[in-house]
Amino acid sequence: MTPLPVSVITGFLGSGKTTVLSRLLRDPALARTAVIINEFGEVGLDHLLVEASDEEIVLLDSGCVCCKVRGDLVRTAGDLLARRAAGAIGPFERIVIETTGLADPAPILQALMTDPALAGALCLESVITTVDAAAGAATLDAHPESVKQAAVADRIVVTKTDLSDPAVSGLAGRLRILNPTALQLTAVHGAVDANRLFDGALYDPAARGTDVLRWLGDGAVTHGRHDGTVTSFCLRRSAPLRAVTLTLFLQVLAEHCGAGLLRLKGLVNVRESPGRPAVIHGVQHVFHPPAWLDAWPDGDHTTRIVVIAPGLDARWLEALLDALDDEVSGLERNQDV
Amino acid sequence: MGHDAQWHARISRVLSGALRVWGVSGAVTGDPGDADGFVVVPDAGPAMRVRHQAGAGWTVTPRDPVAGAAMPPGRHAGLQGLLRQLREDLAPDAPAGRLVIGAQPLLGRDQSGRRQ
Repeated sequence: MTPLPVSVITGFLGSGKTTVLSRLLRDPALARTAVIINEFGEVGLDHLLVEASDEEIVLLDSGCVCCKVRGDLVRTAGDLLARRAAGAIGPFERIVIETTGLADPAPILQALMTDPALAGALCLESVITTVDAAAGAATLDAHPESVKQAAVADRIVVTKTDLSDPAVSGLAGRLRILNPTALQLTAVHGAVDANRLFDGALYDPAARGTDVLRWLGDGAVTHGRHDGTVTSFCLRRSAPLRAVTLTLFLQVLAEHCGAGLLRLKGLVNVRESPGRPAVIHGVQHVFHPPAWLDAWPDGDHTTRIVVIAPGLDARWLEALLDALDDEVSGLERNQDV
Repeated sequence: MGHDAQWHARISRVLSGALRVWGVSGAVTGDPGDADGFVVVPDAGPAMRVRHQAGAGWTVTPRDPVAGAAMPPGRHAGLQGLLRQLREDLAPDAPAGRLVIGAQPLLGRDQSGRRQ
């Protein structure tokens, strides 16, 4: 069975998530889309603003999706799949989850990554974050949730650009520093190109092939950058990494920096797997199983690990990776003697 | 002395960086009594002596042991265990996680590369 793509639309209160989603659902490119909407509060309102014809829309209104209804989300997605398989609803080809404006998207992604019932049935396509062009900078200053939402995004949609030009105001540059791997798009009255919004997946069910370099944001992260709250940087290694070193490195990161590790993406030259690079992806301490490509996507065979995290020192990670590799290499030498 | 200056600088950076990650103010210095040792000195709390012996791994002891309070040294084969003990000793309230590998494949393939 081909996994169905799941995208998560997040963004702070009033940033235009529902407007964007409402417009997207009218786009033929998003026909056959099931939507799960979560709202914070006792009375669901946002779903009333979403106009849809033949899409399946499910409302979760029992609380914030990230902290109260994570189980509900998994169950709802499972129910949708079961009803689809039984022919009770149309054969939708994508699921879009709209979070509340206050949601931390990380637990939602983790739920999708770890639930065994959904594994193989769903595939995380992209995280789309809306940012208000006029109020976005102030929101980033005042609300750490909004920083996190932007930092984990694959696509950032700057909305209401008729009110403020993000390039002129500096918002676009700030978002680029915050998350250099995310493609930035703009939307006026919610209008945004669906094809550009949903082509950020590492795995493409339409079999257009995997575009790891685009997913990785390769080239966008050249050195450590930070906006005062979140740092993003790319660790590079030209020599192949030992598999044990990579495992230890991820274990140490998860153990000591777990909650602060907003996102880690990597293309790794693993010494034990010459010619078949590993793709790694983690949100906080939760990682996908590494995926092995059949070949390198281009002539550059260096390991590239992109890290987005608040306050992490790139030099510390560099030293940690080297120290662990040095240790593993010492053990190998001792075994050889 | 078994290790070169680059190794010392690297380990010192790993230890001092870990202190920052745990939210502990302090310093890491070379151990004047051990060419391959370090002393981790938090601004508050007991200082720890960290020693490395090739082939044996890491040993952690209080720099200033309390008389009569015998405390076995912490022994660790690798940096992972060393960092864990230092966090537990110096920053017991710092959040600690563990690596979780999820069930969902990244590429719609299983780990052997087969399409699901």
